Amino acid sequence: MDTMPSLHEAQRAIGRAIVLGDVDGIAALVVGDAISAADRIAIYRNTATGTLLRALRLSYPAVESLVGEEFFEGAARIFIDGCWPRGALLDDYGAEFAGFLADFDAADSIPYLADVARLEWSVHRALHAPDAEPLDLHRLALVPDGQSGQVRFVPDPGLGLISVHWPADEIWHAVIDSDDDAMATIELVSMPRWLLVQRAPAGGIDLQRLSYPQWRLAQALGAGVPLAQALAGTADVDSTFVPEQWLAQLLSAGRFVDFAVDAPTPA
Amino acid sequence: MGGTANSVAVPFGTNRTPVPAQAGIGLRFAHHRAVIESRPQIGWLEVHPENYLGGGANLRSLNAVRDSYPLSFHGVGLSLGTAQGLDRDHLRQLKELIDRIEPGLVSEHLSWSRVDGNHIPDLLPLPLTEEALACVCRNVDAVQSCFGRRILLENPSSYLRYRHSTIPEWEFLAAVAHASGCGILCDVNNIYVSACNHGWSAQDYLAALPAKAIGEIHLAGHATRLLDNGRVLRIDDHGSRVQPEVWALYEQAIAHCGVVPTLIEWDNDIPGLDVLLDEARQAETYLESARAHGYHAIAA
Repeated sequence: MDTMPSLHEAQRAIGRAIVLGDVDGIAALVVGDAISAADRIAIYRNTATGTLLRALRLSYPAVESLVGEEFFEGAARIFIDGCWPRGALLDDYGAEFAGFLADFDAADSIPYLADVARLEWSVHRALHAPDAEPLDLHRLALVPDGQSGQVRFVPDPGLGLISVHWPADEIWHAVIDSDDDAMATIELVSMPRWLLVQRAPAGGIDLQRLSYPQWRLAQALGAGVPLAQALAGTADVDSTFVPEQWLAQLLSAGRFVDFAVDAPTPA
Repeated sequence: MGGTANSVAVPFGTNRTPVPAQAGIGLRFAHHRAVIESRPQIGWLEVHPENYLGGGANLRSLNAVRDSYPLSFHGVGLSLGTAQGLDRDHLRQLKELIDRIEPGLVSEHLSWSRVDGNHIPDLLPLPLTEEALACVCRNVDAVQSCFGRRILLENPSSYLRYRHSTIPEWEFLAAVAHASGCGILCDVNNIYVSACNHGWSAQDYLAALPAKAIGEIHLAGHATRLLDNGRVLRIDDHGSRVQPEVWALYEQAIAHCGVVPTLIEWDNDIPGLDVLLDEARQAETYLESARAHGYHAIAA
């Protein structure tokens, strides 16, 4: 470089070299001598990618167990190349790994892998979510009758509601428990399944399989849809489903931590 | 220079348990249970606050050890050298945890990790220029204002230098401490690693640091890599016991700055807790010897 680069220019060049492997011009920026500038950059790249690999291993232990260490590392390194973190918190890194695995040709022989990864990310999020007190139901009782339909719930920050096609819940349990017998009896049939994940109050993970109407109502309420509208949305799916009963179960299980009541619409 | 020289009023809190001038260890997940159950005799513990910004078991563990040990927060994610300024969300999250846990010390690194929205999870070296000095001073000022307290800034280990650097690293650190009022976390292993890698004198580096500003010392193991051309590169991997040359430099460090809280760090191939405690005991013998020689703490 002919003129002294600004701090941002230098950081951009180093960033591109580490993240993209683009070391053109690095020799003009970094002292080479006994070790070339590119080799010096490689030391930092190795450390950074090693850290990201460790983070993925911590978030996706069942996926690693299913594919083996070597395959996992290979897949993770390709993923890392295309997806660097956007923030300093490594607990937040790796949300896109399940989507990556779904499109990863080398994993085609394990069709349920991406679903297990999606479940693991929900488990990871639940385990690291901020602590929150369940909604005090006495507060709900104070909402005037005419306004209860306008209640919007706030979900527990660790509540995850995902839909999968493979029995990811059974596979996850079997892998985490190292239960080969259970694994051998799982029927690998592709059909829609609806799952709820939350951190259990005593620690560990509460993982439940829901019916579609249960999942749909929980999903709608968790997304902040007003109560009356969310209940109405389940009316057409299953005549045996009693949404008020399921709502009571969701509330007593501490799936929500707060609520707000929309102001009444002017007549 | 862009730092507002000595303009930041940095209050010290009153509620928090001070970190004593004794040996401590870096608490990692692998040892949470052992520390909580066995309550080993150790002066204090240091954690990376980034590992506790969520809730659940990790935060419960931190709360559990908080009742038994003075704590230090050693951040790794603030990227104090980023030209584009601080990540305000990250700063706010750290502030909330600091307010909740009230650690006795808070430290960060003279390094950068973030550029154009990408976060590179490593402590990257800065070009040591007047512009970078102004940037670090500005960011340290902002952090200390946000936290309402003084922080310590750690000297990095590094494997590269920039052609356009104009300020020796030790002068750069001293200038940041002078301008911002921050303290220095003197990582003796990092001084040794960088001095070997760049052909500096570790003794001169140490002697150039303002003794009064040094509020903590770090010790760790490093790896030695023999390159194809016969040269040796030292890598600060925190994966082994402290090397004899680093213990010797540590002895000089506490003769220079007096006895200060001294941490054993271990992050790769983490051994049993007993090994870390053994390293901490060794640091404690150096501290005792320094006390016997009258090298009492002189930190401001």
